[in-house]
Parts: sequence; structure tokens; C-alpha cells
Amino acid sequence: MSAILEVRDLHTQFSTLDGVVRAVDGVSFEVAKGETLGIVGESGCGKSVTAMSILRLIPPETGRIAKGSIKFEGEELTVLSEEEMKRLRGHRISMIFQEPMTSLNPVLTVGTQIAENVVRHMGVPWKAARERAFEMLDLVRIADARRRLDEYPHQLSGGMRQRVMIAMALSCDPQVLIADEPTTALDVTIQAQILDLMVELKEKTGTAIVLITHDLGVVAETTERVVVMYAGRKVEEAPVETLFAEPLHPYTRGLMRAIPRLDVEADAAGTRPRLQEIPGLVPILTKPIVGCAFAPRCGFATDRCRTEAPPLVDVGSGHTVACWEIERVRAST
Amino acid sequence: MSDAPVLKVEGLVKHFPIHGGFLQRQVGAVRAVDGVSFSIRRGETLGLVGESGCGKSTIGKVVLKLIEPTAGSIALAGEDITHLKPGAMWAHRRRIQTIFQDPYSSMNPRLPSGTIVGEPLENFGIATGAARDERVAQLFRRVGLRPEAMRKYAHEFSGGQRQRLGIAKALSVNPDVIVADEPVSALDVSVQAQVLNLLIDLQEEFRLAYLFISHDLAVMRHISHRIAVMYLGRIVEITDKRTLFARQLHPYTEALLSAATAPDPKRRRLRKRIVQGDVPSPAKPPPGCHFHTRCPYAIAECKVTAPPLIEVAEGHHVACLRRPVGGDPGPLSIPG
Repeated sequence: MSAILEVRDLHTQFSTLDGVVRAVDGVSFEVAKGETLGIVGESGCGKSVTAMSILRLIPPETGRIAKGSIKFEGEELTVLSEEEMKRLRGHRISMIFQEPMTSLNPVLTVGTQIAENVVRHMGVPWKAARERAFEMLDLVRIADARRRLDEYPHQLSGGMRQRVMIAMALSCDPQVLIADEPTTALDVTIQAQILDLMVELKEKTGTAIVLITHDLGVVAETTERVVVMYAGRKVEEAPVETLFAEPLHPYTRGLMRAIPRLDVEADAAGTRPRLQEIPGLVPILTKPIVGCAFAPRCGFATDRCRTEAPPLVDVGSGHTVACWEIERVRAST
Repeated sequence: MSDAPVLKVEGLVKHFPIHGGFLQRQVGAVRAVDGVSFSIRRGETLGLVGESGCGKSTIGKVVLKLIEPTAGSIALAGEDITHLKPGAMWAHRRRIQTIFQDPYSSMNPRLPSGTIVGEPLENFGIATGAARDERVAQLFRRVGLRPEAMRKYAHEFSGGQRQRLGIAKALSVNPDVIVADEPVSALDVSVQAQVLNLLIDLQEEFRLAYLFISHDLAVMRHISHRIAVMYLGRIVEITDKRTLFARQLHPYTEALLSAATAPDPKRRRLRKRIVQGDVPSPAKPPPGCHFHTRCPYAIAECKVTAPPLIEVAEGHHVACLRRPVGGDPGPLSIPG
């Protein structure tokens, strides 16, 4: 596996009135060429901050990458100047966000916005860039793309705006596309179309995708490998089929049992199995976490879990888990 | 379940005027709700599912009489409340309560949570002083919060705990009906499970009727007894949950189900998506069947005739010209 993006022991912290928030607390992963990696977790687990760290979009007034390395095509990103990062962003690494309306300029036509990016990074004449913008809108299957070039973001529906964002993000043939909750704000039928489009375009262009989401359904449908985060740490990583067939971290298991399922049948009386709750709350990230971050909510926790942080253990076939009690978890149903 | 519906809505219509032009005259109307009928019994959950702009939240607001309907009627426990003025409505408000998606925005940040939850008790003159505090403490325990937390303010609670506060407040006056508009959409899955379980327990304990509004099919399937699928202001299909998921008849229901993601990587290759394109604007819905512009099974007549909602089987209503009474319930053919 040739890694195009390598994140090693990333620590990203924010200074707040309540103290230092350890939003990302020692996370490592790799993304291979042309691969789709999912990063999944609940609010505050550090998944978005990880993405922002890769692109160096952490606001310098409050946050900083305290430790760790981010290598893109072998080049260390954490030491690059802002100017050098600007040449990278939107070109070799690009990003799409949850709410396209906040990322699009309301006073420029979508054609202009896509072409602008192409001119800046590819150094081609304006006319060629406009043509590229048309090709991209056509690629993301916006009907009547020629006419849409001259429309403003407010004239488009939510699904179309997200298509425009994807078109813009892919306009300079990036090696990596980071998508942070790209379909969360969209309706179900539109979400399905956008996910299908992303999978199809990835196959066509070979761009690696880092898909950040809280939605296990989206992860199952689109990714090849998954990183599960909890309280700023990676607790489990596995190929997507393995993760869903045999999740080994108690948190991952908890998540999977907590979601209502469309694909699980109700019994004859029509009653459905009670959802399994994960008791308690996520830890406060301003206080140092001793031991396993999930221990206070975990049914398997022992004294060791509460005092010593479990290392990531390789259990084979690219499946790693940070848990002291893997064998007991595996044996339980 | 007793058979008399506790909430009955008939032919409900809500149009929002669109003003435009130099004189700001009315130039059109958003047909948010366009002739909707349903009823809910005690202890029953009716789910309203659909995508943005289908009118599901508007129905919630009209039923709560937060906005006036354009036409149609609403009956609460047999009494027509459609045209009650705010004063006369007062006596009925206790019986129908609501839970919001974001409870935080509906809580006064300067009041302790105990006061917020106890407010309806005072407003309706049910309990004051020590009796009120006792009742609030009871409610806190019932929804899984510690009574000591009554002194805390809304911002000191997590999202899931705030939703518990919202539920405690709605419960405080012993309502018959609770309108829950996307009550778990803003919550993380682990917390969502806690709140869904709590809602189901409370329903069994107090025989509450829920009008549960959500876009999430999996949540809907978990909590509802019957489900109404809405598209652009109209109910296109309504039936019990099992029938809807096993033998849905309306092409839009089929489209929604085919679009939903499942947390199972093995299934992803099997699925076919059946609709393309966006939901049309409710200000300018397509003529005939609103869904015909996206429906792969649409025939010429669908473009001109609005299909009525008809009962094709016991308790199973569908609004589709290609699904007549006694028709073949199998897959529809795509017209050549």
C-alpha cells in the first residue's frame, strides 16, 4: 500500500477559558492512493479537527498542532508556510464541507468560482478555465451545465450546491479529497445521489477520499477502511467489512447497537429490539484523560483500563484496536 | 388502545402567501400542507416522514395551533379546536404538548432548569410552591436526571440531557398528545438511543399519543406504529409500519427506502436508486401527481390527474394512479 497521506501522532489543541482542549490526542493513520478512508465518531471526538489540521486550517489565535507529523506525498505539511499551503489547498488536497452555502461566494457565479480556482492553481487562461468549469459541472451531472455556469449559488438547490462544491474540489485533479459530513445537510434521496456520485468519481479520477461522518450507514456504503475516534483518540481501525462484521472495541460495538436499523426485521408482534444505550457522557477534554477514555462508560472496564491507556493492537488483516479487554469483548455476544 | 382517536385531522390545508411586486400584493402561495387527514389513538405513534419542504413540520405547528390552518379541521379528544381563539384554546393546550429538535433554543438561559420544567405547572395552575418542586423532582427522576440538577441552568446540560428536560416539561401537565418534531436529529447516536428508549417507555406508562415527525426512516421504523409518507404537502401513503417496510406501494415510498443508507457494507452493491433530481418547489408543485416529475413509473395521466388517497387494503392508503383498489401489489412496470 503506497500511502499518499500519512498522519503520525497528531495532537491538536485549543486554548479556551476552561483550559486547554485536547481535541486530537495522538491520532495516526494513512490514506493510500485512490482509497476511501472513513473517519467516524460522535460530536467532539476530533474528527473534523483532524481534517482541519491536515489542511492547516486551525485558527492560529486559539488552536495549534502541538505535536505530530502530517506527510503528503512524503512532504511534511506541519512546517510549510501559509503561502506554500495555499498552493496545496484546492489543488492537490481539497475539501468539501457540510453546508455548501457557507463555502460558496454568494456574489460570484458558480462558473467564476470554479474557474478562479483553476486559474490560480493551473495557471491556464481564463477562457480555458471556464471550459474546465463547464466540464466539471457536466462531470458532477448538473443538467444544462452551460447555463448553470452563469448562475449564483442561491439559485441552486442544496443538492446542486454540493455538486458544485464537488466540481470545484475536483477541478484541479487533487490527490486527496477531504469530505467533512458532505451529505449531512441533505435529504435522503439527494444524499444517495451525492454518495453515488462521489464513489463513481473516485473510481474515475483515482482521487483518495477521506470521508468524515457521524453516520455509520454512510460509512458502510462508501468507504473501504474506517477509523473510529473517541475523545480525540483512534480506538479502532479496520477494513469496512471487518469493522461491521466484527467490531472489537466496546465503543464501536456500542455505536452499532445504538442505531435503529432499517435492515433488521421486527419480530412477529412487530415489536423491535430495544436499542442498546451507551450509558453516560463523553469525557471533558480539558481534563487529562487517565487510562482508556471510554472506560467510564464501558461494561468491560477493569482497574487497568482506568489507569493505563491501552495501546493500539494489531489483531490481523489490518484491524487494530485500542482495548485491554479484546479477548473478553470478542467472546461476548 | 381504545379506538376513539385522541387527535383527528381532516382535510388540513395550510397555504403561506407569497407577496411580491411593487405593491406587495399576494402573487402566489406556498402550498405547505394541501389536504391532509389522519388520526392517532391513545398509546399510538404516528410517524410523519418526508423530505425538506414536504410540510411535515407545518402540520405539527398547525396541530399545536401555533399557526392557523387555511382549511380543514382538528379535533382533540373529540372536540373541534380548529377555530378556537387563543383564550378558548387555553384550556386545551394542556392536552397537547411538544418536544422540539433543539430544546436549548426554547429554554430561557437565565432560569434554572427546575423553574423551566415547572413553568407549565404554574401556568396551568396545577401546582405551585413546594408541591410544584416535588412534582418537578419526580419528573426529573422519571426522565433520568438527578433532582439536584434542578438548580442548574440549561447551558450546563449536554444535548441529550436538554432533550430530557424538554421531555420532562412536556410531560409535566399530563398531556394526551405530544408532537415531537425531529426530537433526536440533533443528538449523537449513543444519546439518540437513550432518548428513543425513554420516549417509548413514557408512551407505555402514560398511554401517550405521539405525532412523531422525522426524516430518518430508521428512527421512524423504530418508534412508530403507523407511518404517513408525505411529498410536497400531501400524504402519498399511510399504513402500519410493517406493511410500509415490507409491502410499500407508492413509488415515492419505494424511492425513499431505496435511498436510505444501511450500516451494512455487504448491502451496498445490491441497491438500486430509483429517483434522480431534486424535490420541486412547494410554491410551484407540478400538476397532477406531484411526484410524476421524478417517478420512473409515471404515465401520461399522472401529469394531469392528482391521485386521491384511497384504501387499497385494510388500513393501507395509497395515492397513486397505478395502484388502484384490487390492483397487482407487485412491482410496477416502467412505461415504454
